[in-house]
Amino acid sequence: MKRPGTYSGILSGGISGRTGPHLLPLARIKKIMKKSNDDVKMITGEAPIVFSKACELFIEEITKRAWNITLQGKRRTLCKEDVASAVITTDIFDFLVNLVSDSAKSEESQLTTKA
Amino acid sequence: MDHEPPPETPTICCRSNFVFIDRVAMEPMDIVGRTKEDASLPKATMTKIIKEMLPPDVRVARDAQDLIIECCVEFINLISSESNEVCNKEEKRTIAPEHVLKALQDLGFGEYVEEVYAAYEQHKLETVDTVKTGKWSNVAEMTEEQALAEQQRMFAEARARMNGGATVPKQPDPEPQGPQPPQPSLNT
Repeated sequence: MKRPGTYSGILSGGISGRTGPHLLPLARIKKIMKKSNDDVKMITGEAPIVFSKACELFIEEITKRAWNITLQGKRRTLCKEDVASAVITTDIFDFLVNLVSDSAKSEESQLTTKA
Repeated sequence: MDHEPPPETPTICCRSNFVFIDRVAMEPMDIVGRTKEDASLPKATMTKIIKEMLPPDVRVARDAQDLIIECCVEFINLISSESNEVCNKEEKRTIAPEHVLKALQDLGFGEYVEEVYAAYEQHKLETVDTVKTGKWSNVAEMTEEQALAEQQRMFAEARARMNGGATVPKQPDPEPQGPQPPQPSLNT
């Protein structure tokens, strides 16, 4: 499969400042897409590429927001609660609220069983 | 009782959660409800992306990484579903990048659209047959900037192809070169 040359990654990295074209495996993305919805039909070969980039941007946003919270707490280790707070305080991440509260709940129940 | 293999090409999954029968990963009908473990993104790659975003001395807790990965998968699910809706509304059968971009817009991720679209365009350029030889003259459809960028890209790819061997000398001269850039002399 033809891969973009090393340097062309730098050329394209000028937009987002990141090196490397597609870091996320397209096959995996396609798999997730198919599982997300039984109704999903065919997917063009290019759609996972668009997803890959969108995911990178998403990860960037959530990581940086979580990191801001870490900094506010004067810490240097980004922890799960920072991620959860980032999700809760960002409107467009509403769809994740259940996900982060689920993981918080499962942690709680683990703690109570230990007690 | 025979298990029907999934219609798509069976893939060998590296996650131990999958049940293997005859080397075929079973679709998770038997792992009902475990949506977050079904298909996930490779941890090492994700860790790399996350760390690239942060200053070098920052540490990321393991559970925080896991949570970000889960969020990313959920993000893909969400955009997929919405893309599917967009695709349906347009009465198309195949989800195309345009549908995904519209979905991003609709769900409030409009800020991503520009960058995502740019990356997509870049990809299209890179996967078009790049052995365009001797076509630098009369490129009336390209602006000078585009032609220059295209030239730089091709030189870069030529360099990359020669990576490990002799490097191609820099040729800023935009005049037509002929089929190949001149090879470094290997005459004895």
